[in-house]
Amino acid sequence: MIVVGVALTLGVSAMALAQAKPDFSGIWRFNQGKSNPNIAGNTPNIPFPSQIVVKQTPTELAVASTSVRQQPVSAVYKLDGSKVTVQAPQGITETGEAKFEGATVVITSRRSFPSPAGDVVADFKEIWSLSGNVLTIVKTRTQEGESTSEKAVFDKM
Amino acid sequence: MSMKSAFAAVALGVLLAATASVQAHHSFSATYDGNKPVTLRGTVSKLGWSNPHAHIYIDVKNQQTGQMVTWEVESAGASNLLRQGLRKEDFIGAEVIVKGFLAKDGTPTVNASSFTLVAAKKEFTSDEAAPAAYTP
Repeated sequence: MIVVGVALTLGVSAMALAQAKPDFSGIWRFNQGKSNPNIAGNTPNIPFPSQIVVKQTPTELAVASTSVRQQPVSAVYKLDGSKVTVQAPQGITETGEAKFEGATVVITSRRSFPSPAGDVVADFKEIWSLSGNVLTIVKTRTQEGESTSEKAVFDKM
Repeated sequence: MSMKSAFAAVALGVLLAATASVQAHHSFSATYDGNKPVTLRGTVSKLGWSNPHAHIYIDVKNQQTGQMVTWEVESAGASNLLRQGLRKEDFIGAEVIVKGFLAKDGTPTVNASSFTLVAAKKEFTSDEAAPAAYTP
C-alpha cells in the first residue's frame, strides 16, 4: 500500500513538472521597441525574423521563421535534445537540437555554407523564455572564435 | 545661358543627385542574406569614404584555396564613422576583422555590422539607426 502511495505521489509530481513547461505555441511578431536596437536597421548584429510560427507538442517543437525579403527557415526539433536537420535556404546546411532547461527552451545549431572566403561555419545558441504573451529570445552567434549576443522580443498575435 | 535654362539645369542636377542618393541607400534585406553571417580578417587595400555608406575594400585569403580575394565591405557612412572617432587614415593598410552578412548575389561583398581595428584592439559598430517602423 505504501509502495503504491509513493508511486502515485512520484507520478503526480512528474506530471506536475511536465505541465510546468511553458507552451511556446503561437504566432509571434517581432517587437522592435522592446528589442535590442542593434538587431534592426541596415547593419544588424544578429538579424531576427519578423515572424515566428511555433507548434509545440509534448515531444516536439516546430518552428517556422520568416522575414521580409529573406528566405524562410524551419525545423521540427525533438525536445529530447536529439539532432535534427533544419530546413534552411538553398546552399546552407544546418543541424540543430532543442531541449527544455527549466522554463526555457535552448536551441543550438550549426550552419555551414560556401563563400568566396571559403566554407563558413557559424554556431548559434538561442534561449527562449515566456512571460504572458511575450516571447524573449537571446541569441548568440559564435564564428571564428568571436561571439555576439542580442535579445529580441516578440508579441503573440 | 538664359535664366530659364540655368534654372532647368540646376533642377535637373538636384533631381539626379537625389535619385543617386536613393539608389545608394538600399535596405539590408534587399541586398544581403541575413542567413549567411561571415567573419572576415584581412587588410584594407582601398577606401570609399562616402555617405550614406562607406566602402572598405579588404584583401582576405580564402582558407581552402589560399587565393587572395578582395572583398567590398559596406559600412555606415563616413559621417557616422567620424562620430565614433574614426578617420580615413585609420583604415588604409590596417588589419581588420569584419563581422557582417554576405550579399545575396554571391559576390565577395559584405554588409558590416561591426569591425575591429586589430592594432588598436578596438571594435566599432557599423551603426545605423533603424527606421521607426522597421520590420526585419
